[in-house]
Amino acid sequence: MNSKMNAKDISSGALLIAIAALGLYFNLDHPMGTARRMGPGYMPALTFWLLGGLGLAVLLIGLRNGPDRLDRWAWRELGLILASMAVFGALLEQIGFALSILVTVVISALADRSQTVKGVIGCSAFLIALCWLVFIRGLDIRVPFLPPFLGFY
Amino acid sequence: MIENLTLGLSVALTFHNLLFAFIGCMIGTAIGVLPGIGPVATISLLLPLTFGVEPVTAIIMLAGIYYGAQYGGSTTAILLNLPGEVSAVVTTLEGYKMARRGRAGAALAIAALGSFFAGTVATIVVAASGPLLTSVALSFGPADYFSLMLLGLIISAVLAQGSVVKSVAMVVLGVALGLVGTDVQTGQQRFTFGIPELSDGIGFVSLAMGIFGIAEIILNLEKPENRNVSVAKVDSLWLTKTEMRRATPAVLRGTAVGSILGILPGGGAALSAFASYMMESKLSKYRHEFGTGAIEGVAGPESANNAASQTSFIPLLTLGIPANAVMALMVGALIIQGIQPGPRMVEAQPELFWGLIASMWVGNLMLLVINLPMIGMWVSLLRVPYRFLYPAILIFCAIGVYSLNNSAFDVYQTVLFGLFGYLLAKLKFEPAPLLIGFVLGPMMEEHLRRAMLLSRGDAMVFLERPISASLLAIGAIALGAMLLPAIRKKKDEALAE
Repeated sequence: MNSKMNAKDISSGALLIAIAALGLYFNLDHPMGTARRMGPGYMPALTFWLLGGLGLAVLLIGLRNGPDRLDRWAWRELGLILASMAVFGALLEQIGFALSILVTVVISALADRSQTVKGVIGCSAFLIALCWLVFIRGLDIRVPFLPPFLGFY
Repeated sequence: MIENLTLGLSVALTFHNLLFAFIGCMIGTAIGVLPGIGPVATISLLLPLTFGVEPVTAIIMLAGIYYGAQYGGSTTAILLNLPGEVSAVVTTLEGYKMARRGRAGAALAIAALGSFFAGTVATIVVAASGPLLTSVALSFGPADYFSLMLLGLIISAVLAQGSVVKSVAMVVLGVALGLVGTDVQTGQQRFTFGIPELSDGIGFVSLAMGIFGIAEIILNLEKPENRNVSVAKVDSLWLTKTEMRRATPAVLRGTAVGSILGILPGGGAALSAFASYMMESKLSKYRHEFGTGAIEGVAGPESANNAASQTSFIPLLTLGIPANAVMALMVGALIIQGIQPGPRMVEAQPELFWGLIASMWVGNLMLLVINLPMIGMWVSLLRVPYRFLYPAILIFCAIGVYSLNNSAFDVYQTVLFGLFGYLLAKLKFEPAPLLIGFVLGPMMEEHLRRAMLLSRGDAMVFLERPISASLLAIGAIALGAMLLPAIRKKKDEALAE
């Protein structure tokens, strides 16, 4: 690999071009209209062509302004944090507020090796109490606190 | 103006609004002290909580978080050499040196007093220039508006850190994300892929939380925690006569620099703090002392960043154009409350406009009281390890975004934007221009269509109208200047952290 290549910028350019191409493809469904009476497809066409052009510029500049290698991804942290939040969305209506918080805190805690069992329990208890106070007492959001299948709210 | 300020004070001084201003200032100071969470993430986190209250109360609280963070950020910069906020990076240069010399108290005191003075002046600047700019803005046609927004986007990209081309691309990508949803004029669904939740567009809160809140947690977790809690001891907070005499001109200059730079889109607190530091290190009579703990190097930048954080409200309140990511969040907060920010806001919602201005000054006074005597409490906040902090941020994000529409879809959307934000960070993209583009995109499309309809499809209208033409010319010059290597290098130096 040429030592002047900036892998970050080249990938950035490629990403932008890909998004622009997808956008232009899906924009085929929308009537363009005329410059005077713009249809719903006019602004997207302008935007995505511009985006593609900028992507190309980033890519071309990236061929010569390096070297800058791609960063390593923290897959473990990334996966666990995103999963813990997605799980919250999936579980909230099923198992209620308190248990969802517990599950989310536990999954997210796996992302940081300095966590202790005691710390996680304390943190969950504190957050359940705080969120009950803020969101259920204070803001009155309509969510079951305990698992609904237990039969009481 | 007196009449208006009285109206503003009568709004700001109600018990309810005072309470929310206080809460905002406290939260702001806290997150300012804590590294790893900034005002943008916090405000997007708290947006869902503000829907239940009056618009003016919501904005007062959110504004308190923003300028509170400027105060809090300087505390850790001085005592720990650890900037809590980007805008406090410069403060570490002289502030921490002062603390090492045993003048931590003086550095904290001048930072707070300078900030208070700057905040007061900036409040007056906002109050005076607001109605003036508004009356100018009311004469704008759709073409002028379009050009103004374009200029705002260009400048925010030019002043962002890193590559200008990539920042411009982020702006355009933001505009593209803003296209998702129902086309206002024809009712056609665009890029919704048959998902009913997307017909109202991508959730603003989900986008901001994902990119700034969630992605930031992952980025923080992958770096090992590095917080040495060897806090410098705080002695007397009183300034000596010499220190007072030396700091005063720096405060004045910093206030002026900050008030001006704050108005620029993309400028804001960090840039003005740096500009003020550069200025002091060239102009001060004691410039030979820079690097060893010169009080001017604390007084100037601290005044500048606080002045800037307040004057950056000017484009938002008068033109409806956000100058930075925090202001983009304010636009989001107003729109969700059913208020379209823009020149008509002063007329239509005087209590909101003047109430906010008055509350800024009240908030600054509160911050002075919150910060100086309670410094020990804020420092002890630093002992809260990040491993307790991030689950809390995560949970608040999750519940907050769910409570918007009581829908799990919003939570999933936030997860996706978290992933996207992480990807962008790994490729060295600046996320702030994206948010500004997202907010301005739909308004730009509307003005573009209206302008072209009025001109019967003639694009020359943008060059024929004098206001529009001059705005576009400024934008072209700003972009062109970035192509000159010498100027680009200066910018890189100024924004290097």
